[in-house]
Amino acid sequence: MDLYRKPKKLPGQLENCELCDKRFTVTPYNKAGPDGGLLCTPCGKEMMKDAKAAEKAKKPAVRKGRRKIESNRLDGLTFRGSKTLQQLCIQKLAAHAEDIEEFGDMPDHIMGRLSEIFSKKRAMTSNTFKLFLQPGMDTVAIHEAAYLETEDYDQIFAVVPNIRKLALRNCCQFKDSNMEYMIEKAQRLTDIQLLGANLVSNDKWIDLFIARGHDLKSLKVEWLDAAFDDQAVEALVTFCPNIERLKIERCKQLGVESIDALTRLHKLQHLTLRFFQEVPIERVINLIGHVGANLRTLCLEHFLDGSDEPNDNILEAIHTTCHKLEKFRFTENHECTDQGYTNLFTGWANPPLRYADVNSTRDLDNANPEGPQDNPVGLATNGFLALMQHSGSALEFLDISSCRHIGYEAFAHIFDGEKQYPRLQEINLSFCPVVDTQIVAGIFRSCPKIKKVVTFGCFQVMDVVVPSGIVLIGAPKAQDAIEQFGEVVMDFQETMKGLDAAGRVAPVGA
Amino acid sequence: MADSNKEISEYVTLVSNDDFEFEVLRSAACISGTMRKAFDPASGFKETTQNRMKFENINGVILEKVCEYLYYNQKWADAKNVPDMEIPPELCLELLMTADFLNC
Repeated sequence: MDLYRKPKKLPGQLENCELCDKRFTVTPYNKAGPDGGLLCTPCGKEMMKDAKAAEKAKKPAVRKGRRKIESNRLDGLTFRGSKTLQQLCIQKLAAHAEDIEEFGDMPDHIMGRLSEIFSKKRAMTSNTFKLFLQPGMDTVAIHEAAYLETEDYDQIFAVVPNIRKLALRNCCQFKDSNMEYMIEKAQRLTDIQLLGANLVSNDKWIDLFIARGHDLKSLKVEWLDAAFDDQAVEALVTFCPNIERLKIERCKQLGVESIDALTRLHKLQHLTLRFFQEVPIERVINLIGHVGANLRTLCLEHFLDGSDEPNDNILEAIHTTCHKLEKFRFTENHECTDQGYTNLFTGWANPPLRYADVNSTRDLDNANPEGPQDNPVGLATNGFLALMQHSGSALEFLDISSCRHIGYEAFAHIFDGEKQYPRLQEINLSFCPVVDTQIVAGIFRSCPKIKKVVTFGCFQVMDVVVPSGIVLIGAPKAQDAIEQFGEVVMDFQETMKGLDAAGRVAPVGA
Repeated sequence: MADSNKEISEYVTLVSNDDFEFEVLRSAACISGTMRKAFDPASGFKETTQNRMKFENINGVILEKVCEYLYYNQKWADAKNVPDMEIPPELCLELLMTADFLNC
């Protein structure tokens, strides 16, 4: 401390400014200078201005970086190293969408990627979307068609009459007239996906099914409120018996009759259903009994019986009927018990699943968050063990978020770091409260191919050292970044490194 | 002796269809999947002995940009938050096709 320093002047006294040496009367508002002395009013103001500017300049830079990383991650871009030249070019193209006249002969996959990026940037307008129409194409996929007008849709079929696959999402302005034109022009359509086409009337849907008839292989519809009722589904089943892939989600008009009608689609291989209306579970079981044997994909979301008693009949039906499944999704259910899941996966004649999603199968009782102890509801300890026993060897994607009743021992046993799940790439453990750091570390060791681990709401996961090439999403503490990218190359990774590196690191000559 | 030196030379030559030549580090050239295969001694292509690759469908302007990218990629290989490389909009389409061909 400087004992010889003069005491600070009090308000009302005179002092020389530390910066400009001008003499001024001290007030309570004078700022302190960089060396601890007082500043005159103009100098004080100047200093505050600089400080504020510096603060402003700092803040957005930090936020922008974080936002950008997040956005890139969702785009599936690499988070380490530079982007590929293709990614850079596609980005640039999307940014200059308005100035481009035509694409020329682009390879299909680049075209598809461009379309995705345009959609994501909401740059798919009447002008730009014509770039994606070329007479020789057989696929048109517009993932965000909300800006397109009625006339634009006619363009698709006028320019690309040989179209086989059509995918339009959020095609709000797709109307009856477009449907008529499509029926007339596009005689080779086999795959149709229309999301949110709410201006198409029921009769036109039926006309479409009559026109496409035996040719139609795949139909995906979602978010239809006013039209597309049981009659339309009836017509679909009657006129299009060759349907192999069917996805009907969130169509408000559909009920039991549709479920019953679908039993007659014997060529179905991929079935995805999510209904708004309640359907008695025995009708769904009946449907599985009729079409289940050939299914490779079965996704049933939010199918509830509405009765109080737990009921595992539907899982039993899947166990006995379905023997070809690769992708299985059965979610938002609080009626099937752990015993039911255990029985499903134990001794199942089905080959190991590639994709399993049983999220949100758990008991729903606020008063008793642990659920019934003697007979757990939802996929719990035993069910999880049985699932991994059955499918662990082939599993690539696993979602068990909100399966709250899986015990710690089960996780510790499955992901002990010794057992290997050679294909698992992505796992979602969100809201499984028992998951802790130890288990996440076990996953890193047990799954050599793992890319992404999601742990929202797992409050015992903290201070994990994430190995390189892996992203851990959902860190519980607010001050941590939501996603943590691995940087450390762990000892157990060293052995794999040589194999993986081939794709990225070039052999360097002497 | 001279021959064996040549096989693992540090630099390789990329030639455009209008005969511009670019000398680049072998490690940089090998960022492109196509070039990596071509210069891989195990592949037996003639590029491996000549350390030279001629591109019949890439002109000098584009190839220069490609070389710029290869070094940009190498420079930022392990960095985070890499700044995007500047690409003139008028070259975008052609460069995109080339990037697809070169697999980089």
